Amino acid sequence: MEFTLIKFIFIFGVLHSFIYLSFALGFSLVFGVAKIPYLSYAGLYTLSAYLMHLLLTKAGIPTIISAISSIGAIGGLSIVIGDYIVKPSMKNPLSIFISTMTVSYIVEEVFRIKMGLTPVALPALRGVITIAGVPVAQQWIAVLIIGAVSSFLVLIYLSKTATGKSIRAVAESWYESMIIGINPYKVFRVTMLIAGLLAGVASISLSPLKAVVPSMGWSPLFVSFAIVILGGMGSIKGTVVASFIYGFVEQFVTWKYGGAFASIVPLALIVLVLIFRPTGLFGEKE
Amino acid sequence: MIMLKVESVTKRFGGLVALRNVSMSVNKNEIFGIIGPNGSGKTTLFNVISGVLRPDEGKVIFEDKDITHMRPSDRVKLGIARTFQTIRVFPYMPVYWNVMVTASSVYSDSRIAKARVSWALIITGLLGEAGELAGKLTPYKLKMLEFARCLVANPKLIMLDEPFAGLSPEEIERLISIILKLRENGLTFIIIEHKLKYLMRIADRIMALSLGEKVAEGKPDEVARHPKVIEAYIGVT
Amino acid sequence: MFRQKTVADKVRENLLGIIVLLILALLPMRANDFLLDTLVRTYIFVILAVTLDFFSGTTGYLNLGHSFIFGLSAYLTGILYVYLKIPTEIAILGAGLLGTFGSLALLLPSLRVRGVYFAILSLLYPIIFIGIVTTQPFSLYLGGEGGLRIKQLFLDIARKLPPTERLAFLHNAYYYLSFILMVASFIVLYKLAYNEFGFKLRSIGQDEELSEAAGVNTTNMKIKGFLLSAVFASYAGALYAGMRPPITVDFVNTGSILLPTLTAMIVGGAGTIIGPAIAAFLLTLLYQYLWGLVGLWRTVAYMIILLAFVLIRPQGIFFDIYLRIRRLVDKVIG
Repeated sequence: MEFTLIKFIFIFGVLHSFIYLSFALGFSLVFGVAKIPYLSYAGLYTLSAYLMHLLLTKAGIPTIISAISSIGAIGGLSIVIGDYIVKPSMKNPLSIFISTMTVSYIVEEVFRIKMGLTPVALPALRGVITIAGVPVAQQWIAVLIIGAVSSFLVLIYLSKTATGKSIRAVAESWYESMIIGINPYKVFRVTMLIAGLLAGVASISLSPLKAVVPSMGWSPLFVSFAIVILGGMGSIKGTVVASFIYGFVEQFVTWKYGGAFASIVPLALIVLVLIFRPTGLFGEKE
Repeated sequence: MIMLKVESVTKRFGGLVALRNVSMSVNKNEIFGIIGPNGSGKTTLFNVISGVLRPDEGKVIFEDKDITHMRPSDRVKLGIARTFQTIRVFPYMPVYWNVMVTASSVYSDSRIAKARVSWALIITGLLGEAGELAGKLTPYKLKMLEFARCLVANPKLIMLDEPFAGLSPEEIERLISIILKLRENGLTFIIIEHKLKYLMRIADRIMALSLGEKVAEGKPDEVARHPKVIEAYIGVT
Repeated sequence: MFRQKTVADKVRENLLGIIVLLILALLPMRANDFLLDTLVRTYIFVILAVTLDFFSGTTGYLNLGHSFIFGLSAYLTGILYVYLKIPTEIAILGAGLLGTFGSLALLLPSLRVRGVYFAILSLLYPIIFIGIVTTQPFSLYLGGEGGLRIKQLFLDIARKLPPTERLAFLHNAYYYLSFILMVASFIVLYKLAYNEFGFKLRSIGQDEELSEAAGVNTTNMKIKGFLLSAVFASYAGALYAGMRPPITVDFVNTGSILLPTLTAMIVGGAGTIIGPAIAAFLLTLLYQYLWGLVGLWRTVAYMIILLAFVLIRPQGIFFDIYLRIRRLVDKVIG
């Protein structure tokens, strides 16, 4: 394999891995605390990008403020979804599946009707810089920084703060954390908030580089799911490691074989893990 | 004749050792009791014998056949039946179908299956509730339903996990007479129980587990007086 | 214990169904082409709903990739026609079979793990499928956005008729084909669902571990149940491809295929087979009616109905309504 190809794969691998990590962490936390795959994540991701677009273009609000409002709104919406859709049907996993999934479909359909299928553009940092001879849009640097910083913040939050530790406790066992005095419902809401914020952040930083279309949210959702399965359910360390493995594998396939094959990567990865090592790299036996 | 042999079975869950080097054998037509405080590994042992779990080390041999890696449904077809500590039935299905699911899996001829189901429901006194949804039964009838599910497949070995829990003294006596009658007809039993008073009466031999290890085995009164057994129970209270 | 049922008994038991079937069977004599067309679509959806319910409604293994099965055989029909030069009529027969076994790809990876994984994995398949079909280099061979073009089913036979009769012939032929497939799938799956086979599937859905401990080879049953569901859904897809070319990714689109099917399953009553059949029938007609009411927003309206039912009444309503009507009819007949 030629050196240029390796450079591309490495650089874009790093760029993608951090933002994937931040996004996958949100998904992983909800999975750990609520024991369900957060299928509404796709809708939140899509909504965040369109919301920012609307705030920018229809309401003329400056970029930074649009971005922050959008992220905040998605965080809040995530809590609402948690309270009104996830919590009521928690005993029935199938219901949660369908209801959370439907939310994402409703978002997709609403924007398909209102905005059509033509991609919408979000403002990006202009300019291209070169890293080791590889041209990289400046927006990617923003993505890298945002991805790394949010991931870092979440990881610190989980290990150092009281609420963060209670999130991990509830993910282990609702029952036992109640015994030691943690309110799992409060923890649940915080987790939903974090997940929503992370979705918003990832969406707004990545969307300027990729197309904003109504179906944009599914790909990140499946990427997170692949990462969480690869890393092992319930393992934060697993999510971290798997994000990088995933990022590099995906970029390898993209640059060597093209985009069509890259879309198979999440599926192939999940299938391989389920067949050969269902618990993932670091997952607990379940 | 030895019906079941458990050879040096060890089972770990992450860092926890649920069963450590446990061996036992059960003779045909025997009523074999298993006692021990909570968490001593009794239900795990049942899970390994019935196939719900696979041991990390050791073997399970049934009628000279190594079944250690056989799937649970195949073990049922060989003649092993078990009940669960928390009574488990299919709550949204009628009583008839609860039992028929097993019968139709074991007997390919549906007429035989139906006949066996009728018989099982009659013995357990559930014929009248055949059409009721299983979830609506009283605890005693639920136990009878579990029993019916076990019996319908014409088992050679029945494993009961705390069968007397939650029953009144009269109900326990009724259950005991059923167990003894079935033993007369050739069945072998392994029974986990906490209600030692009743277990002592019917068991031929008892094994005591503590923290995943066998601490005693022998006739009921021997085991009851065994210092390690007393220590295991008192130590945990 | 029971005397054998006579033909008269059987007719009385199923009177409602027989009447409905007779009406539907004789419909083409009086109906206009638009109604026949709508009913063809309706019948296909009934097949999809019944097949989904047969597997997912009983075992609880939510097949969110049901549209993958439908679309796979649709595309296989196209591939057989375009690349192997097989005439449409035979291509449909072959594609239905191939698609049935091809769709096993949905189930096999998740056999070793819990049902939750199956649901998410199945969600992936249609999306990946669309992704592949619409991207180079595959889009060149599979028609991309425009779709695969094939010779419409029975078109050459129709051309032999006088021009005025051609359309009517096609409409009637399509109507009866989909009608027969629907009746066949309903009867087969309904009978199986309410017999030993179906109850074994239901036992998996209610407590899989207990089911296995009760002697049910759950892996075996899941595969068999899935194949039965897949074979009818597959043939529905192949047939629809023959009747309504070109074959596009719309055949696999989760939003337009899976969601309405899922709605029918939930609103009809998961696991009852007949509830989802009725629901699919009525909801598809409702879907047409909604167009006049809210236009493009009918898809969103549909999704909101699904969401509402899942949150408020997950056991559905159509099965209960059906039971009540049955009791009334039984009382009247005596």
